[in-house]
Amino acid sequence: MIRRILRLPTGRFAVAFLLVIAFLAVFGPALAPFDPLQGTDDTLAHPNAEHWLGTDYLGRDVLSRILAGSTISVLGAVQVALIALLVGAIPGILSVYLGRTFEWFTLRFVDTLIALPFLVFAVAMTALLGNGIPQAMLTVGILVSPLFYRVARAATLSVARSQYVEAAMLSGASTGWIVRTHVWSKVLPPIAIALANTMGIGFVVVSSLTFLGIGVQPPAPTWGGVLASDLGYLNYRPYAPLFTTALIMVTVWAFNLLADVIRDVAGESGRALFAEQDSGKRSKKNDATREPAVASA
Amino acid sequence: MAVATLDTHRKEERSDAPTGRSTPANRRRSGAHRSLRFFLHSLVVFTTVFFFATLITFALQGMSGLSPAHLQLSESATPEQIAALEHEWGLDRPFIVQYWDWLTGIAQGDLGTSWYNGASISELLASRAIISLSVAGLALLIGIVFGFLLGVLAAVFQTTWIDRSITAFTTFISVMPSFVVGIALVAVFAVGLGWFPSAGYVPIERGGFDIWLWHLWLPAIALSFDTVADVARQMRVGLVQAYRDNYVTGAVVRGLGPVRIFLVHVLRNGSGPALTVLGMKFPNLLGGAVITEAIFGLAGYGKFAADSASRGDVPAVQGVLVVAIVLVVLFNLLVNVLLVRLNPASARGV
Repeated sequence: MIRRILRLPTGRFAVAFLLVIAFLAVFGPALAPFDPLQGTDDTLAHPNAEHWLGTDYLGRDVLSRILAGSTISVLGAVQVALIALLVGAIPGILSVYLGRTFEWFTLRFVDTLIALPFLVFAVAMTALLGNGIPQAMLTVGILVSPLFYRVARAATLSVARSQYVEAAMLSGASTGWIVRTHVWSKVLPPIAIALANTMGIGFVVVSSLTFLGIGVQPPAPTWGGVLASDLGYLNYRPYAPLFTTALIMVTVWAFNLLADVIRDVAGESGRALFAEQDSGKRSKKNDATREPAVASA
Repeated sequence: MAVATLDTHRKEERSDAPTGRSTPANRRRSGAHRSLRFFLHSLVVFTTVFFFATLITFALQGMSGLSPAHLQLSESATPEQIAALEHEWGLDRPFIVQYWDWLTGIAQGDLGTSWYNGASISELLASRAIISLSVAGLALLIGIVFGFLLGVLAAVFQTTWIDRSITAFTTFISVMPSFVVGIALVAVFAVGLGWFPSAGYVPIERGGFDIWLWHLWLPAIALSFDTVADVARQMRVGLVQAYRDNYVTGAVVRGLGPVRIFLVHVLRNGSGPALTVLGMKFPNLLGGAVITEAIFGLAGYGKFAADSASRGDVPAVQGVLVVAIVLVVLFNLLVNVLLVRLNPASARGV
């Protein structure tokens, strides 16, 4: 499947960009040319040969802060997605098997998580639980887990009740074989799509939280934090938010693109793909297939 | 960036298992019975959601391990002093008793008192909620008008350049986080062009309707982007799918005009998903207030929640959350009722 993703130009682009981002996340702090926490007298400088992206209101090098902040910002998104996967997918699969009471209660619980005003709740819970990165990741991870619950449940339902699984069981196939050949290939693509989507969402939420200064202690650099400090000095350096904004947007976009590509490759779009064949317009397919939860729920 | 979906009228996978084929006649007879059942079912669902949500909200206090002692007593307070203070606030009672007490208080409009300054949270919230709800209401209006309009345009002119540019536009704005949109709007329209104020709020009594609205536009637009994008996309998908249905082909064959087909057959049947998305986006509109209020310097409930949370003022945070939860539940009930009015078949799915 990875090979098929890489065969598509969009897939190559998404993967390449995410590799760059991953590289930043791992080596960013080491690459920073200046100490991201060290203030200088040279405050609010415009971009120049020494400070490529200028300096902020305390004279700290913006490029260094962005590089050093990439670890928290990007790894945060990955952690959020993994927590959500764990919290959401397991009850989602179990809900099919553990009886109607469990099913009903988990469904209502998922409805509840969706009904909570997302950002306010994330901010409130993170701050109340001690205002640290682990608290933020856990909170956001639980709040976005309904997507995995829905996806895992839908996929399990469709497989568990399909006739070919029944047929395989009747012809004496072992459970392991059925899981490997039928269930796995059916459940994995939607989960992979949801994972890519959730990383995008988690990234936005983590950036939003750090933008508000929630979840990190002040001097620690994050992309959201850099953006927030730029915003206060818009009159001096009106172009300043552009760098961080562009970085954040392209990252989100790359995650979404990856989700789309996996969906295309896995043929998950179902009915929407027929629409695509009718019209032959690529742009439409993106549109029709972007939201699995809404379209297939 | 739709997070997920609250769609209580989703088709339960089990409901379409054959439970005895009903003839058209007896389906008609059970119509009234069915809408009553639908109503009761959604009532049960929403009540459960409400109880779960308030329970989580109330459990925040226990999970945070905070008590008024952190705010009101100094570091050197003895355990006895702390215990006395917690007794005074009723925190030494069993969890369920406290929860029930809190819940009955809410039913009477009493959200408790702040640990920070002892003021009534209902009063603290009332003035701030007006600001936030003005912004969220305007954002909802923008979301409905532009979302439905763009979706309809894209579906009617499907596969033309209009459709493609609308799709590109909605895709673009849906990947923009709300704080990015907010900053961009401030940078361009407030700092760059000076058309709108960059921050602040003027109550309607003080500045009149025009000034009030003038201060609301930018935050509301920033908040509405996500909703516009998702509603437009769902609207388009729903309408395109409705256009493919056999009854539309039938209507074309019968020689009905395109306008009539669109209004009677397509719009009515195709706008359900978009309406559902609107209901699901409502929590985001309320929750997004935290971000927009920080950017636009509004003293609404989002900022109040963030400030209270940083201070450790648990009851104040709970107050904000409860108000938001109640609004979300009521709005989704409204959406469900609308959906059933629009398309009675959707009641079957519950």
